[in-house]
Amino acid sequence: MPRERHIMGLFKDENQVVSAINALKQSSYKFIRVNTPFPSHKIMDALKLRKSLVGWFTLCGGILGFIAGFALATFTATRWNLIVSGKPIVAIIPFVVVGFEVTILGSVFGNVLGLLTQTRMPSFRWLRYYDPRCSGEHFGVLAACEIEKEDGLKDFFQEQGAEVRVFESIKENSQL
Amino acid sequence: MTENDTKTMEIDKSKTFWVFFVLVVIGVAAFVFGLTSGHPERAWQAYLINFLLWSAIAQGAVLFSAVMHMTNARWSGPLSGLSESFVAFFPISYILFLVLFLGRTHIFPWLHEDLHGKEVWLNIPFLFTRDCIGLLILYIFGFGYLFNALQLKFDPNQPRGKLRQSIFEAWKRNHRKPEDIKRRMTVWGGLYILAFALVLSLIGFDLVMSMDPHWISTLFGAYHFVKAFFIGLGALIILAAIIRIRRGEASGIKANHFHDIGKLFFGFCLLWADFFYVQLMVIYYGNIPEETHYVIVRTMLAPWNKLAWIVFLVCFVGPFFILLNKSIKTKPILMVVICTVVIVGIWFEHLLLLGPALNHGAQTIPLSISDGLISLGFLGLMVIAIGYFLHEFPEITLREKEA
Repeated sequence: MPRERHIMGLFKDENQVVSAINALKQSSYKFIRVNTPFPSHKIMDALKLRKSLVGWFTLCGGILGFIAGFALATFTATRWNLIVSGKPIVAIIPFVVVGFEVTILGSVFGNVLGLLTQTRMPSFRWLRYYDPRCSGEHFGVLAACEIEKEDGLKDFFQEQGAEVRVFESIKENSQL
Repeated sequence: MTENDTKTMEIDKSKTFWVFFVLVVIGVAAFVFGLTSGHPERAWQAYLINFLLWSAIAQGAVLFSAVMHMTNARWSGPLSGLSESFVAFFPISYILFLVLFLGRTHIFPWLHEDLHGKEVWLNIPFLFTRDCIGLLILYIFGFGYLFNALQLKFDPNQPRGKLRQSIFEAWKRNHRKPEDIKRRMTVWGGLYILAFALVLSLIGFDLVMSMDPHWISTLFGAYHFVKAFFIGLGALIILAAIIRIRRGEASGIKANHFHDIGKLFFGFCLLWADFFYVQLMVIYYGNIPEETHYVIVRTMLAPWNKLAWIVFLVCFVGPFFILLNKSIKTKPILMVVICTVVIVGIWFEHLLLLGPALNHGAQTIPLSISDGLISLGFLGLMVIAIGYFLHEFPEITLREKEA
């Protein structure tokens, strides 16, 4: 594997970031990620991320939760048949309430599980090649290229109006 | 836009007007025909269902704008103004309610019953007096809110009809600042929201629950007004979708708006089902014959049980699973279909609530072509009212001018 050089372009303007992302995706350089100090819809749109799967986790969790809740109520009711005013042992109307409550619980669990697996938490990858100014007033666009093409990528970022930071090695980030 | 375009649009508009006018004529004809035939009570039943349904749609849709203003919501954008156009149906709704008085002998089965002390509340003079006053108050608050809300969006450069001119003169006389107008909107909107809950509860108790005079549910009023907001949102989505489809980008209604109001619609679908379930649950546990007979007749015995399941599937299960999907909520055409189905479902829900009391011992669900025709007449009235309003105040769909 050829050695790679990681370079971050630091922008102050949201729109410049969007155009840099678009240009980077057209170019031969490897686009890695964007660090933003606050959530930005424009940048999110430009990244064209694929749709998150978290919703499916929530849905499955909810359905499983409903079944589990209903099953729990049924199971406990059938352990000792307590007949009240002629109502059935497995009564649908009140058991739906238990099912509903556990649906919510199951959805929450599914959602958290989805969140953890989809973001591949716990992850410390972001610590590598990070500039603290991205928590201040800068947007950081991180890209990588082969070491020989380093100057080309630097120029590219400068053309886009960025301040350039080259990461020589991981150690450089010791300030974090 | 060239002069030619404007002309074709005008012709287009008048054509639509005539189409819906014909619908109204058909509806009136079907109703009159029903009255003169052997079963006037059937015609009055259809009339009552439609009065309840279409009034609730108008009242619920206007509530949207008031709620958006009271909560300082910004996401609704042009939808908020659009929902105010439903105020145009208020006068019609009021007249329709007054007409209901003529059919009192057919729509109140308790008139010749022994009510065991409930006569104090359930008697024609008192019932009509309180409902008349209640609706009048609600509609006055609605108009008061609209009068102020319109002022913020009013474009004095638009061509003026008589109505516009007189409203404009009134504003000029008052000469208020935008902050002042907003404060007044808060007062009128707050009163409207309060009156909405109280008056719709009253209507629910008097015109729906009283059909079975020995049955009571304290939650019925709340169930009735939550349902009204639910279908009001549905109708607002339909209106917004039609405008979006016809005008495209120029309407200012974006996919995000449909997504957000779709979520609200979904939420009220759940809330409506919840209010139904909360009542059912208590009745089930209490197991008192006076209470259970109402539910048993409607959900367990033929012919009504089938209708109950249809309503449940069409108004809750279907929309619930379909509206979980985000991209469906952002598609105007699909939302029109879903909301129309839900509103038709709620029509049947009204039939389910009123039908068994008005048709004792019915072997089949009392439905005929004339019910459909009368409903179309009401649809025509609603469309003409809103069309007139949007024609008179085209700027209502635009964003509020920033104060």
